[in-house]
Amino acid sequence: MKRPRISDAQMDLLAARLAAGGVGRRDFLRVAAGLAALGAAGFDARPAAAAPKLAAGEKLARDQHFRYGGGGWFQNDPSSHDYNKDLYCSGVPALWAGLMKFDANFQPVPYVAEKISSNAEGSVWTFTIRKDSRWSDGSPCTAKDFEWSWKRQMDPASKNPYSSYFYDIKGAEPFNKGKVPDASQVGVQAKGDWTLEVTLEGPRGYFPVLSAYLAALPAHRPSVEKHGDKWTEAANLVCNGPFTLEAWEHNKVMVLRKNKHFFGAKDVTLDKATIPIISVQSGALPYEGNELDMTSLQTGDLKRLRDDPRTAKQVFRYPFPGTWYLTPQVTKPPFDNLKVRRAVAHAIDRDNVVRVADGFAVAAHSMIPPGFPGAVDDKKIRDIQRFDPKAAMAQLKGTPFEGGRNWPKITLTMREEGYGSKPLAEAVQSVLLEHLNMRTELEVLEQRVFRAGLWKNDYQLVWIRWFMDYPDPHNEYFDTFYGKKTEGKRQAWVNDAFDKELEAGRDTRDLKKRLAHYAKAEEIMQTDVGYIPVAWVARWAAAKPQVRGLEKNKLGETVVEGNIYFDMLPHVYMVERA
Amino acid sequence: MARWTPGSDINVTAGPRPLADPDAIRAPSPLAADVPARGSSLWRDGVRRLRRNRLAMAGGVVIVLLCLIAIFADVLAPLPYTKTNFGRLNEAPSRAYPLGTDQLGRDLLSRMIYGARVSMLVGLGAQLIIVAIGVPIGALSGFVGGRTDLALTRFIDVMYAFPRLLFVILVMSMLGAGLTNIFIAIGLTGWVGIARQTRAQVLSIKQKEYVEGARALGSRAGRLLFRHVLPNALTPIVVAVTFGIPEAIFTEAALSFIGVGINPPTPSWGQMVGEGQQYIRSYWHLCVFPSIAIAVTMLAFTFFGDGVRDALDPKMK
Repeated sequence: MKRPRISDAQMDLLAARLAAGGVGRRDFLRVAAGLAALGAAGFDARPAAAAPKLAAGEKLARDQHFRYGGGGWFQNDPSSHDYNKDLYCSGVPALWAGLMKFDANFQPVPYVAEKISSNAEGSVWTFTIRKDSRWSDGSPCTAKDFEWSWKRQMDPASKNPYSSYFYDIKGAEPFNKGKVPDASQVGVQAKGDWTLEVTLEGPRGYFPVLSAYLAALPAHRPSVEKHGDKWTEAANLVCNGPFTLEAWEHNKVMVLRKNKHFFGAKDVTLDKATIPIISVQSGALPYEGNELDMTSLQTGDLKRLRDDPRTAKQVFRYPFPGTWYLTPQVTKPPFDNLKVRRAVAHAIDRDNVVRVADGFAVAAHSMIPPGFPGAVDDKKIRDIQRFDPKAAMAQLKGTPFEGGRNWPKITLTMREEGYGSKPLAEAVQSVLLEHLNMRTELEVLEQRVFRAGLWKNDYQLVWIRWFMDYPDPHNEYFDTFYGKKTEGKRQAWVNDAFDKELEAGRDTRDLKKRLAHYAKAEEIMQTDVGYIPVAWVARWAAAKPQVRGLEKNKLGETVVEGNIYFDMLPHVYMVERA
Repeated sequence: MARWTPGSDINVTAGPRPLADPDAIRAPSPLAADVPARGSSLWRDGVRRLRRNRLAMAGGVVIVLLCLIAIFADVLAPLPYTKTNFGRLNEAPSRAYPLGTDQLGRDLLSRMIYGARVSMLVGLGAQLIIVAIGVPIGALSGFVGGRTDLALTRFIDVMYAFPRLLFVILVMSMLGAGLTNIFIAIGLTGWVGIARQTRAQVLSIKQKEYVEGARALGSRAGRLLFRHVLPNALTPIVVAVTFGIPEAIFTEAALSFIGVGINPPTPSWGQMVGEGQQYIRSYWHLCVFPSIAIAVTMLAFTFFGDGVRDALDPKMK
């Protein structure tokens, strides 16, 4: 089918709605991720998971049991598995199957729906549901279940903090706000058992993306009505995804079992998955002690595992695009002085700074990491803030700080964070001291405290990182640095020429021209030192050799379960150990 | 029973003896005003007993060494504590770096030497504040009695009910990290014990005959308190301070360990352990050496404190 065009006005409308309803803009943008990359292929039906591809001489393991977690994954006990009620319950998504899902490239593809279509303008969407869609108790999971679940999410009685997620659906907002008590006015309607018709407030080309996200997962009505808040406990849970919850010992472990009623069950090879709930402090120990088959890695462990010939091949980098940078507060001395900002930019010895991150950072010369739309590798831009201690000192000539003297008290502020953020910040301190004789104090603040001060532009010099929400430069530049933003502005720096480039980038359709605008914006921002790029984020995981089937994205990187992509478990299988 | 040495006998004739002191009756006399109350045989006796306690003396030697290291850190440290070497990160101990290098290629030995300075400063600085707050409150409460006592005691009880470390963390998060703020935070929360002990001591000494005598002779309240009561209440305060110093050092280490203590790049042992512990299986030396330093300091102060307590305990004579 042809995808209706999504106008910027539509996007803005959606963003505003969700922000007002409590869904963070970044999470919304994550949902929108698929849109930017969505190809002409559209929404073809695909198998739920691919069959295992075995190499010669390889045998499927008899015991298809996969254990994963640790190093930051599942470090806290989920509050529930009820995504239908709470988007941030941090439960196990593999228990559920939505109408659509995201593939390894973050594109929405059909899942429980076998076909989706819309009217010409994209204001009415019709999902045709697979006839073999079942709950884990064997009963059919129909369009009526989705209608009930979505309305449950909007129902003011369910007090869902993220109910505005579905405000695009006709009548959802008045119903959610209690102005219209009757749910039948809401534009979600099951036409028989296998067709769900969704009528929206207007043209919404992106609606399939919304229906692929965690918030659009269903809930099992009889269980909810019988067990209330306890319905996602292991003993009560009835679900419709590739796995069921066999056991959930709170704060200890979750055990998943293959759901034999799942419509794609024949493509799911794993029989059992175990997810222990482990604090991040235990590092790679459980993995090395062979209690886990796959784990995420923290700074302390990567190097050791990579240096050890027995584990070197088990380690892999997974995409988690992000950038660490400094923002000098242009309203606070001494950074109100452009020359000082330039001096700082030239003093950052990036190649050396990233060494302390032990593999979790790569020297950065611009905002967008290589391989993503908008990445610039232009010598002109590289040169603006190149490391050059002499140029740095030369910038200070004529300022009160000539020769690196008379610095006021300078505090470098950062938030509490793992993945080598603090050693990186300390390395930044050290190069500033070495090359500019600028002594800084490092202040590490708790996340919420940090954010409050950040938005008030209270800090002198900030060490911060941004994780890319979706692969488009709009995200990196507009969402954080646009000068006319009224809330969530992380720095006082404003530049009209920069803003104009961003607006032009937003309003231009042609990709090449758009990227040119963003490259210009990067140049302006670096020249005026609105920010100082330091390092790109790298993340690592390790998997035992017998773990197979992890999907790769278009860039050839192995993708692991995350906030958008949660289709990992149905693909994983175990082979016999060599 | 006291075993008076000839030296202390001379001492007795030279000045007033604080405990059951008949001279107090003579007060106010010019002689008593000239000779301070502290030069008593109890103290001299105590020092003698302390010197016989080998464990305590070993602790004392370590403490003196630590103080010297803290004072002469600039001379002793082979490198500045901020000096990084990005080519030699996380190196194990070698000839160039006797204790190895940290995550930023800084000399661990130099950082530990400067860390001693922070620890000693916190230990002593915080005790100063604690004494400055705790002793006056306790003395006032015990000496004045009545409603003042009731109010102050209830206040002390309320303060006592707070979990200490949590309260310190709370204060730190309000004031922000930093050395001065650590003094304040530990001081604000640590005075309670010493105030209680001072009060108890003052209460009992207030009833003593020589105080009654002085009162009968018309001594004013201030004179009574400062000349007769407080000097005799000093013993438990001294003991409390000796034990309070390692406690303060440990609190600073704990705060820095969880990241609300000293701000980098200033080194602190607790902070070094905190940053090093996540690397313990890759680079053991990062957290082992500072941990040893903290442990040795704690032990030294504890042994010394035990010695002081035993030496000043009249029952141990």
